[in-house]
Amino acid sequence: MSSPAAPSLDPITVEVVRHKLDGIANEMESTLLRSSFSPIVKEGLDASASLFTPAGETLAQACAIPIHLATLIPIVRTFIKEFPLDTMHEGDLFVMNDPYLGGTHLPDIAIVMPVFHRDRVIAFSAAMTHHQDVGGMTPGSIPTNATEIFQEGLRIPPLRLRDRGVMNDTFVKMLRLNVRIPDTVMGDINAQIAACQIGARRLIELADAHGHNLMNAIFQSLLDRSETMTRAALREIPDGTYRYADHLDNDGIELDRRVRIEVAVTIKDGTMHCDFTGSSGQLRGPFNCVPSGSAAAAYFSIRAITDPSIPTNAGCFRPVTLHLPEASVVNPRAPAPVGSRTATIKRIAGCILGAFKDVLPDKVPADSAGTLLTMAFGGQRPDGSTYVVGEMIAGGSGASRYRDGVDMIETDATNCMNLPVEALEMEAPIRVNRLALRADSGGAGRQRGGLGVVKEYEVLQGETTLTHRGERHYCQASGADGGGAGALSISVIRRVDGEEIAIPSKLVTSLRAGDKLIVETSGGGGYGDPRQRDAALRAADLANGKISAVAAADD
Amino acid sequence: MDIGVDIGGTFTDVVCRDPSGQIRFVKVPSTRADPGRAVLHSIRHMAEAWGVKPADIARFAHGTTVATNAVLERKGARIGLIATQGFRDVIEIGRQMRHRMYDVILEPETPAFLAPGARRKEVPERIAADGAVVTPLDEAAVARVARELADDGVEAIAICFLFAFANPAHEARARDIVRANHPAIVVTTSHEVDPAFREYERTVVTAFDAYVKPVIDRYLRGLEDGLAGAGVPAPLQVMQSRGGLMAASVARQRPVRLFLSGPAAGVIGARMVGRSAGIDDLITVDIGGTSCDIALIDRGKALIRGEGVIDGFPVRVAMVDVNSIGAGGGSIAWLDRAGGLRVGPHSAGAEPGPACYGRGGQEPTVTDASVVLGYVNPDYFAGGTLKLEPARARAVIQDKLAKPLAMSVEQAALGIHRVLNAQMAEGIRLVSIRQGLDPRKYALLPLGGGGPVHATALARELGIGRVLVPRHPGVLSAAGLLAAPVEHEISASFPRPLADLDLGELRRHLGELDRRCAPLMAAEKLGAAAVSIQYLADVCYIGQAYTLEVPLHLDQPEPIKRLTDDFLAVHDRVYGHATPTPARIVNIRAIHRTGGSEDDELPYAPAAGDPLKGTRPILVAGAKDFVPAAIYERAAMAPGLAFQGPAIVEQQDTTTLVEPGWSGSIDRAGNLILTSRS
Repeated sequence: MSSPAAPSLDPITVEVVRHKLDGIANEMESTLLRSSFSPIVKEGLDASASLFTPAGETLAQACAIPIHLATLIPIVRTFIKEFPLDTMHEGDLFVMNDPYLGGTHLPDIAIVMPVFHRDRVIAFSAAMTHHQDVGGMTPGSIPTNATEIFQEGLRIPPLRLRDRGVMNDTFVKMLRLNVRIPDTVMGDINAQIAACQIGARRLIELADAHGHNLMNAIFQSLLDRSETMTRAALREIPDGTYRYADHLDNDGIELDRRVRIEVAVTIKDGTMHCDFTGSSGQLRGPFNCVPSGSAAAAYFSIRAITDPSIPTNAGCFRPVTLHLPEASVVNPRAPAPVGSRTATIKRIAGCILGAFKDVLPDKVPADSAGTLLTMAFGGQRPDGSTYVVGEMIAGGSGASRYRDGVDMIETDATNCMNLPVEALEMEAPIRVNRLALRADSGGAGRQRGGLGVVKEYEVLQGETTLTHRGERHYCQASGADGGGAGALSISVIRRVDGEEIAIPSKLVTSLRAGDKLIVETSGGGGYGDPRQRDAALRAADLANGKISAVAAADD
Repeated sequence: MDIGVDIGGTFTDVVCRDPSGQIRFVKVPSTRADPGRAVLHSIRHMAEAWGVKPADIARFAHGTTVATNAVLERKGARIGLIATQGFRDVIEIGRQMRHRMYDVILEPETPAFLAPGARRKEVPERIAADGAVVTPLDEAAVARVARELADDGVEAIAICFLFAFANPAHEARARDIVRANHPAIVVTTSHEVDPAFREYERTVVTAFDAYVKPVIDRYLRGLEDGLAGAGVPAPLQVMQSRGGLMAASVARQRPVRLFLSGPAAGVIGARMVGRSAGIDDLITVDIGGTSCDIALIDRGKALIRGEGVIDGFPVRVAMVDVNSIGAGGGSIAWLDRAGGLRVGPHSAGAEPGPACYGRGGQEPTVTDASVVLGYVNPDYFAGGTLKLEPARARAVIQDKLAKPLAMSVEQAALGIHRVLNAQMAEGIRLVSIRQGLDPRKYALLPLGGGGPVHATALARELGIGRVLVPRHPGVLSAAGLLAAPVEHEISASFPRPLADLDLGELRRHLGELDRRCAPLMAAEKLGAAAVSIQYLADVCYIGQAYTLEVPLHLDQPEPIKRLTDDFLAVHDRVYGHATPTPARIVNIRAIHRTGGSEDDELPYAPAAGDPLKGTRPILVAGAKDFVPAAIYERAAMAPGLAFQGPAIVEQQDTTTLVEPGWSGSIDRAGNLILTSRS
């Protein structure tokens, strides 16, 4: 553990500066979201902004979805290694996206700016954005059938995007030529630069007010404080090694092979170590997760189980270590594809939380569906124009000791909105015949798991390409303390001639006029013995259609 | 005689303006169980204390929290919901996003409590996206489910069919069937409440309308009867979320528009004060006990947003854009496990309140710090109605903070203020940045009793050089009620690309909105008062999901080009860029307005006596020790009076701290203007 704050530091000034750092990160994030062009940033909020110390420790981060949590850390470290501080200059900007050098997946491009005060680097301001396209084999650059990273788009190594104020035109030209929508990509990169500049401007004001040395001492004190608080919170968990394992359906290529995520979490004297030995070897398909993603899942979990009032900065992460076996699903070797790693991060987060189910029964619920069914419909309208509509559908959350799970809710590392029925029908010649809670899909228990949903689509005209990326079609969300598992996901195509096709979790196919697609998302696990469920709650579930008469009789 | 009554959580504020423009006000405790009682109580008070005859009351304008409280306390009507076959769960499914990102034990994000599954019915019917009928309405099914809901004892029914905004025929017919069969049941339809796409949001706002309708109706009727009984001839007017008044008789038809009644009045009041001081760009900061409400007035216009949030649920109704952050005078200061001084989010509230209230509060709060630092006069808090106990404030700060931090009580108290101010300043900055507005270009207007003590410190943090303290910041909402215009609004879905917009068709549709607005205004019985009409369009780029509200200027040349240019300008402000790519209208809206006295110059006559009451030592940020501050009595400060900080300005409803480095002066209208000297 680091030394306590220097006694000369005024604790009030430290707290005031903390609010300012959080405010700066929020202002950067707000600028990033506001000035970006692409819908995935504006409406999917898939972007984040951070401040770092010159040593590469996070001072403050603003992100709207946890999957970004701490993912810039390895990137900033890579830059510091590649471009030592004494070679950096005012007006420099750095750029990269390569997952194998610290990045996440190729659409996430990071921009990092050294902040100078009196000729010294006092901090870094950084912004990461999920870009709408970075080239590769499919529009949007997340092909579900990629078997090499080269198919997923352009790999950008750590580069100077701007050198002492002069943009790197060679790189910009290369980038523009390799993406499908160069204006949008550059617009979003400019938004990232604007965010970094706002961060730099306000950090310099802060250094002017406090002086470089004092500010640096305050930074260290803030990190130490969060570390102290995190260690204190971890010490409240009994020492020991806690194990958990869960599965992903498949990697989109080898459809019959389940993907295992196994973790042994060791809590010892205020530290947490996550060992992923036993997880599947690296996959042929794009569900591999590079270390930054595995770390984001771990950091999400630690935030979720410790005191929520602990300010998030690198200090929180100091007590956390990971063992990620080489050439595995949690630490693949290049050139394995990594684009669809979101599902994997969600499952890793679920496993780390799951490991604490028994030891922290008040804080950790039964497993959630932990899935985001991701679909795209693409085709032509009657007037010949083309449409591509994306759809993301959640399942139920796990029940906890004192509460039922929540129906149809985003959990863990992601937090995306679904698509309104009316928005879909205005956009594409597709009709939704039904959108309903899926009765009996929540795991039975003293507290019932949250329900998934049923949604039925009908193609009205022409032909539609359907991309379907599901989870929990083969592996249920487990219950806790005797509770039952949530129902499996089921997706079926009912052809106009009556033929029925069950979708094996991942599928790319065509639908024609009159074809129907019925998706049923999975439920969360139940908590406690179902026989102990309150009769009034069961009666209400029956009256409100959350369970059927058959299920009520079975309990 | 005009009366404005604003009911807040703790106090009911009453402002009375006589024909000469003279303002008087009183605060009476709110009566939560029956809010109307406080109103009637205040009428008695006015008669007894000020000799106001009820018969002389020409206007009675009211801001109310009844709609919001019905939701917060889950005390709305028992309602049923009728939906398109296959879609009764829309209200419970929602948009699947969680508000607390790091929580793993979750709570429902949707207001299923409004109508649980058993009270949600489906009927065969379907309208397509283009408004065509796919499945005709099954009228027998409507009658059947209405009977089932009636048997279940519902007071109100919300009808929400898919694409009803594109073709309201099925909803209208279903409404008529329910009404014919069950005349006692209140019916509300989604195309009338919120004719816009996105079925979840439309269903929620429609269900909320049904939920609060019987409650609001009972409340307004009780109030009207009470006023009539007391001999008040004026019709009751109610403030809407958007910042206009309407007759209670109309308000009860669309009660969902009353959710932000009080804060909207505050923003109108702030705009009025801004005009009197010649300041058009304002950030208003209302610091209460547990929260701080922030709103922006840009070039004389309050920013409006199309969707608000009530108790965490989206309510798609236009409202003044008031943003709340969880920090206020009652916020509790505490030490975290690493010895850091934190302020909030927990609050001592009004009960037990800060330690210095002497009501059993055991935690140090911001108000306790204000007492220790000498900012607040313990004998003149809330006009002397609540005597503060400085010893309790000192003791609790000493025990809980100063001792463990090994610092003096005064330094710890100052720390509370510094931390709170830094936190609030970042919150205010974020609210303005999100709107694309640079706070440094605005003047800060503190309102509420707790605002002015933080004003110069917040302005300093934000780089704001001017602070405008109204004559009566503590009752500005009630004053705003008196200044607000009467306003009615009708919207309709009008999905058209701007590129091939038919101006004649647009005019026809707006004319239809005018025809629907006119009877609402006629119901106000305001005689031949001039009505001004404003048209607005919600516009977005094709492919974009969220719209921006842009004024339509049909009386100017090339109105569509003007609309396009204005859309690009607003887009540039809010989103930081704008390109001339294809855009479309989503909804159109007509607003009819009349009256309003925001431009009225209210005469200001200071009370007799020496405004300078003496000096008191205070401790401010950046100073090593206490400094003597001049203490002024606001009521006696005459226009033209100028002074320098450090100073304290005391008045019945608030205390203003003027830090060193700031100059103060009183303008012609009696406003206190503070200017930074740096």
